Amino acid sequence: MSKEMLRTTAIKPVPNTFCPGCLHAMASKLIGECLEELGLVDKTVMVIPVGCSTMGLNFWDLDMVSAAHGRAPAVATAIKRVQPESFVFSYQGDGDLASIGLSEILCAANRGEKITVIFANNSTYGMTGGQMAPTTLIGQKATTAPAGRNAEVDGYPTDMCALLSTFQAPSYIARCALNSVSGVKAAKAAIKTAFQHQIDGDAFSFVELMTNCPTNWGMQPLETFEFMNECTLKQFPVGVMRDRKEEH
Amino acid sequence: MPKKLVKGCNAIAEAAILGGCRFFAGYPITPQSEIPEYLAEHLPEVGGTFIQGESEVASINMVYGAAACGVRAMTSSSGPGISLKAEGISYLAGAMLPAVIVDVTRGGPGLGCIQPAQQDYLQATKALGHGGFRTMVFAPHTVQEAVDLMYDTFEYAERDRNPVVLLLDGCLASVMEEVEFPAAKELPAKHPEWAVGNFDGTPRARRTVSSLAGKEAMEQRNIRSGELFDSWEKNDVRVEKYMLEDAEYVIVAYGMSARVCKYAIQQLRAEGIKIGMIRPITLVPFPKAALDELDYNQVKAIIDVEMSLPAQMRDDIALQVKDRVPILTYGRSGGVTLMNEETTEALKNMIGGMNK
Amino acid sequence: MKNAIIFSGSGGQGIMSMGIMLAQSAVESGKHAVYLPSYGAEQRGGSAKCVVIIDDEEIVSPMTKYAGTFVALSDTGYNKFIDELEPGGLLIYDSALVTSKIERDDITALGIPAGDIALEVGSPKVANVIINGVIIGLMGIVSQETFQQSLDLKFAKKSEEVRALNRKALQAGIDYANSHR
Repeated sequence: MSKEMLRTTAIKPVPNTFCPGCLHAMASKLIGECLEELGLVDKTVMVIPVGCSTMGLNFWDLDMVSAAHGRAPAVATAIKRVQPESFVFSYQGDGDLASIGLSEILCAANRGEKITVIFANNSTYGMTGGQMAPTTLIGQKATTAPAGRNAEVDGYPTDMCALLSTFQAPSYIARCALNSVSGVKAAKAAIKTAFQHQIDGDAFSFVELMTNCPTNWGMQPLETFEFMNECTLKQFPVGVMRDRKEEH
Repeated sequence: MPKKLVKGCNAIAEAAILGGCRFFAGYPITPQSEIPEYLAEHLPEVGGTFIQGESEVASINMVYGAAACGVRAMTSSSGPGISLKAEGISYLAGAMLPAVIVDVTRGGPGLGCIQPAQQDYLQATKALGHGGFRTMVFAPHTVQEAVDLMYDTFEYAERDRNPVVLLLDGCLASVMEEVEFPAAKELPAKHPEWAVGNFDGTPRARRTVSSLAGKEAMEQRNIRSGELFDSWEKNDVRVEKYMLEDAEYVIVAYGMSARVCKYAIQQLRAEGIKIGMIRPITLVPFPKAALDELDYNQVKAIIDVEMSLPAQMRDDIALQVKDRVPILTYGRSGGVTLMNEETTEALKNMIGGMNK
Repeated sequence: MKNAIIFSGSGGQGIMSMGIMLAQSAVESGKHAVYLPSYGAEQRGGSAKCVVIIDDEEIVSPMTKYAGTFVALSDTGYNKFIDELEPGGLLIYDSALVTSKIERDDITALGIPAGDIALEVGSPKVANVIINGVIIGLMGIVSQETFQQSLDLKFAKKSEEVRALNRKALQAGIDYANSHR
């Protein structure tokens, strides 16, 4: 068995409860591996949001604080401020982070809190059953946008990386996609870099992971990968938007 | 220590530090902004953390994060801000986290006015957030009492693993009075067992702070909340009984209203009116026994006096008095405060009216 | 309340700090005192008002409407609160700034050209200290020495020059009171 196939100790040896084909599982695995490889498992406090990622309470083998919907960056801010020696990160979905918690993420980033936020963007509210998210694509159907998102009344998809890049304080901002092997590798590298920024005492680091939702998109898992290539990633192109370490 | 003339807000903030507060997050709102201002300057001096949150909501959730780490954490606000904090207060209770919320009340509803009022009695005592929980509510009537109560709130919160509220009207926040400060409390040597983080290299089981629970576990937490409430009623009631012995008229008032009533009682007693007062110091637990045990052969009426229209405390009084004697209410509201002379006159007229 | 003093004037005249200084020095001399500001729009440049109560006994309630002494340093403040002075009470006013006719005949009124005296002393900024000097001189609530100490403490971080100016202003106020009893 190759090293890559071993289960990370940051995750309990229990089955996850994500839907089949959901990339949350992949994202969790990558985060766990990065924590382990950087020696962070025993010094991490993870902030759990509200959404599908709340199910993380069942499988992460970390100290965890479960926050109110959207408030994870505020909760993480306080944890990191009162115990700067701990590694503090949140893992949030797009409804949580880009809609109800938009204020908290923007302000934590603008303050340059020394935390890391991993943002899983699947363009929908998964847990509550496929309602329109701020990240839903134009024309993409949702239970609360049965005819598809209409820019006239719903506006355009929210680009969190672009928004956060307007702030001076963040030290690392990147977007990756988990629908390909190369994307997964790039994502792991980005997560690791973001974590390293926090370890080094740098300000706010942020990685957006483009994911899928086979259940609410009404697609087979492989179809979601194609959809991401054809549609999602055109709206949300991958790349490193900010890396203060590289600038020096 | 010699007495000093200190403004209510500043005194509370200093008492918080002396009581062990090491984290504050809050958002500016009149009439309590001097609390965060004081703590911004003085918390760092004792190694504490001050954060001006971007909103009331973020601030209470920062308190939640700090409390999850086992740090003595507090916030303060006023009506419109407390409404926004309802979410975080409920999560604190749900996750069984100790924290202190100072609620300085002003006129409402809505944006209302910045002048003092006592219109958030029901919010503070019954409706601080969704779900099944209650919190202790302390209601001082002098700056010194505010200091003494604030000083102990963190220990109540930790004892119960539950938020605690210090409720005071804007008068008490802005008045300057003589205060004697107690000595700084020694902080507990260790963080509590349940607190996350604080890693020291020794292996230990993982810890989770969460208000999420399956239905059976949720019910268990609700049962715990009920038991807490019962234990407060048994052990923690604080009340001042003022000139009750021969009283035919019994005022019930808290906070600055109680002081106005004390003034009125002294004036009315000089005129031969047998009047006294029950002053709840804890609004939760409410001093039920003090009301229930009155001699209703002697007492002719109960008078609820508060800076709130419609009266809010009346229902709690009525639950004890039942229909044994009439319950009258008197108050000013919306930022118009009770004044000594006017209140004395009003009470005299009410009593005169009863005896016609 | 006989032992209550209402201070009123315009924002920027140092009304609040007059009240605080007096209350502070009363506490420092072992008396009981409370200070209650009335705030709101007033705080932003309109009219300012505060109440100070000083007593040998503990003060039951600061929420008094009527006072035994009324200090008026602006015409607006005078007209707004003159009815809150108790019959038989003492009105101390700035005779240059309160232009309305003093109509009540059930009170004792003393007008002080505080601005002029302040200029003589050396700065228009010390008018409020002069008024406090008059209050102390007339009412004797605190001793000159105690008030002087409180004043020095308040300006501890300022220059000796500022402290000397304030001492001079206090003396001028007390002298004025003594010559106008």
